[in-house]
Amino acid sequence: MTDTMQYGDDAAEEFRGSVREWITENAPPELTGVFDWRTREIPGYRVEQIVEAKRHPAHVEWERRCVEGGFVCPLWPVAAGGRGWNRVQKAIFEEELHAAGVPRIDRGMGEFLVGPTIVARGTAEQQARLLPPIISGQHRYCQGFSEPEYGSDLAGLQTRGAVDGDELVVTGQKIWTSGAVDANMIFLLCRTDPAAAKHRGLTFAVAEFGPHNGFDVRPIRQMSGAYDFAEEFISGARTPLSNVIGGLGEGWSVAMTTLGLERDFNLPTLSLDFLHEFGRMADRVRESGRNSDPVVRQTLARAWSHVAIMRMFAKRLLADEEGTADMVSSTKLFWSEYHRWVSTEDLDLDGAAGMLRPAGDGYPTTPIQDSFLAARAATIYAGTSQIQRNIIAERVLGLPR
Amino acid sequence: MPIDTRAPLLAAPEHEDLRRALRRFLTSAASVTRARAHAEGEEFDRAVWLRLADELGVTGLGIPEEFGGVGFGLTEQAVVLEELGRELYGGPYLASVVLGAAALLAAGDRAAQEKLLPGIAAGETVATLAAAGVDGEWRVGGPTGVVAREREGGWVLDGSCTHVPDATVADVLLVLADTEQGRGLFVLPAGSPGLSVADLSALDQTRRFSRVELRGAAAECAGTPGDGDRVLAAVLDRAAVALGAEQLGGAARCLELAVEYAKVRHQFGEPIGRFQAIKHLCADMYLAVESSRSAVMFASRALDEETAEAGAAASLTKAWCSDAFLQCAGDAMQIHGGIGYTWECDVQLYFKRAQSSKHLFGGPAHHRDTLAARLGL
Repeated sequence: MTDTMQYGDDAAEEFRGSVREWITENAPPELTGVFDWRTREIPGYRVEQIVEAKRHPAHVEWERRCVEGGFVCPLWPVAAGGRGWNRVQKAIFEEELHAAGVPRIDRGMGEFLVGPTIVARGTAEQQARLLPPIISGQHRYCQGFSEPEYGSDLAGLQTRGAVDGDELVVTGQKIWTSGAVDANMIFLLCRTDPAAAKHRGLTFAVAEFGPHNGFDVRPIRQMSGAYDFAEEFISGARTPLSNVIGGLGEGWSVAMTTLGLERDFNLPTLSLDFLHEFGRMADRVRESGRNSDPVVRQTLARAWSHVAIMRMFAKRLLADEEGTADMVSSTKLFWSEYHRWVSTEDLDLDGAAGMLRPAGDGYPTTPIQDSFLAARAATIYAGTSQIQRNIIAERVLGLPR
Repeated sequence: MPIDTRAPLLAAPEHEDLRRALRRFLTSAASVTRARAHAEGEEFDRAVWLRLADELGVTGLGIPEEFGGVGFGLTEQAVVLEELGRELYGGPYLASVVLGAAALLAAGDRAAQEKLLPGIAAGETVATLAAAGVDGEWRVGGPTGVVAREREGGWVLDGSCTHVPDATVADVLLVLADTEQGRGLFVLPAGSPGLSVADLSALDQTRRFSRVELRGAAAECAGTPGDGDRVLAAVLDRAAVALGAEQLGGAARCLELAVEYAKVRHQFGEPIGRFQAIKHLCADMYLAVESSRSAVMFASRALDEETAEAGAAASLTKAWCSDAFLQCAGDAMQIHGGIGYTWECDVQLYFKRAQSSKHLFGGPAHHRDTLAARLGL
């Protein structure tokens, strides 16, 4: 029987060969030792160490070469400054980076959320003006959707946007803003027509981010000890109307475009990182001699099973772009619940020793403790596990709302 | 161990054609209603079996062309088994086409293959394999209850074997027995003198198991005496994935039954499917089904292509699909409420099949331990 999938065929292998060659020629040799980049996609994973590792000269040089070589935002259309790669090509590129032990240079929310939203919903002028600074790294975005009272029920948000001449003036409060500490741009939803129905009257805009533009940023300390996100009190932040994406009052449908992207995560690479993480756990078990403990063996077998299935989910997603929307909630639920479980099992292996942290300022933790704590975020963000189950039940299984 | 996903993957259009044709046939001629009748004593319907073989060609799928088959692999057979599992089909597909054919192929005895495989491929010969240990567990190196002795240039079998699937309808039995040179695979036709077959009372009445008694029954050795453990190991990996595919079908059908019922059953003035407690059970069932599907796709490809992780994939699949099927059958019963606990509701048939299949060819804990060993732990 024939196979309709491109992944693994001659063209894909030729592509694999060409990117491998480029990586070999361009990746600074000392970069692999700077950080264990093979765990980088695992959410919340040692965020502060990653930020520090990115400042290393080898990483700075690698970033410069990737920008020059056109390997940043490669999924964007060629006209938008990308390579127009499909997801299989992206997966192959990332597999090769993973194999080489070097990171993909990504632009975070700018690359995965704002850019594709502007490509889909922005004007030609907006695309020409707003996309290149994302690729170069000049614009670093954070997301201003959630508010203290409106998280899962996003459409009720209350931050006001008033039109003043050719500017939008934004006043209100946002919270759970990932990447706020490092960002200089924000994409946000605000209510421009309070008289309109809940889902109408919302507007999607990008704005300069920081105290100079009315954003009073207060980092929120997470229970892991890290400061990955912040809340902002917004008083009269201004942005030109030319920064409104999709038009005034069209914010909800634009945000749906963005949120669709948010759930379309990085499963091919993420699953490879989980496999790498599993390997480290298995090594630890072998070194401690606990591989003969039947309970531990059951746990490790369950863990590998989850990762293998995740790899297959990734392949199915790559093979079937049409059916992806149906599966994205399932795979997000699957990996986030898995990681919450396995990181607990991993720390349990440490027993009473896991009760103690390394000494030091702040709240330093071991990588296993960090994983245990950070894993709790992923079943909450980008749609809680409960919301994902509602989506599966209603959209996939057709149960009544 | 790396998890190789470079091999191409996707359900080919031909698979979906096969699936549609089979589903149409089973719904009309061998639905769960027939499985219930079979459970309550109806005889094996050989006419339906032969139509499955002739009209749909499913019995020859995994058998090489040189032996009268189509020459496809487990990947294609998995589609068939999933569909059979949806309707709890009671015929000897697993016994004859999976166990029987796999044992003959693994044993590598050309004469036995030429003699038996064409009939198995055509559905005209029904084979089964007696290889469970005395405790009913299918396990390489487990204690077998059958001894084979050489006598007058041939072999004679003595002892008994339990948990033999579909032995009452089999035309030929393959028996794993101990010899002085080690374990070997032996072949004897149904009705041989000294061979008797007795039906066992099973928790799951939709699949027939028998006890086979051998009192000086003459048999031929297939392959080499002493090679039996290797043969059984090869058979069990294929059987694990095949049964996993069947369990996937059962789990998927349980999810459908639950969702259909949740849409029409009203309480407090609305369909119970509007309550999040029900939605979340269904969503978790969906995840159990789709993760099982991923496991079956992974393992069937891995075995067909003989990749390094084929054994690990087989163990993973049997453990995973076993848990998933019982979860789905149990939750389907819960969602059906009182009616789900009745004899007349089909869900109970799936529930019993799920628990029974969970322990056929090794339970989940056994397979996870094997998986750990295969991962070098």
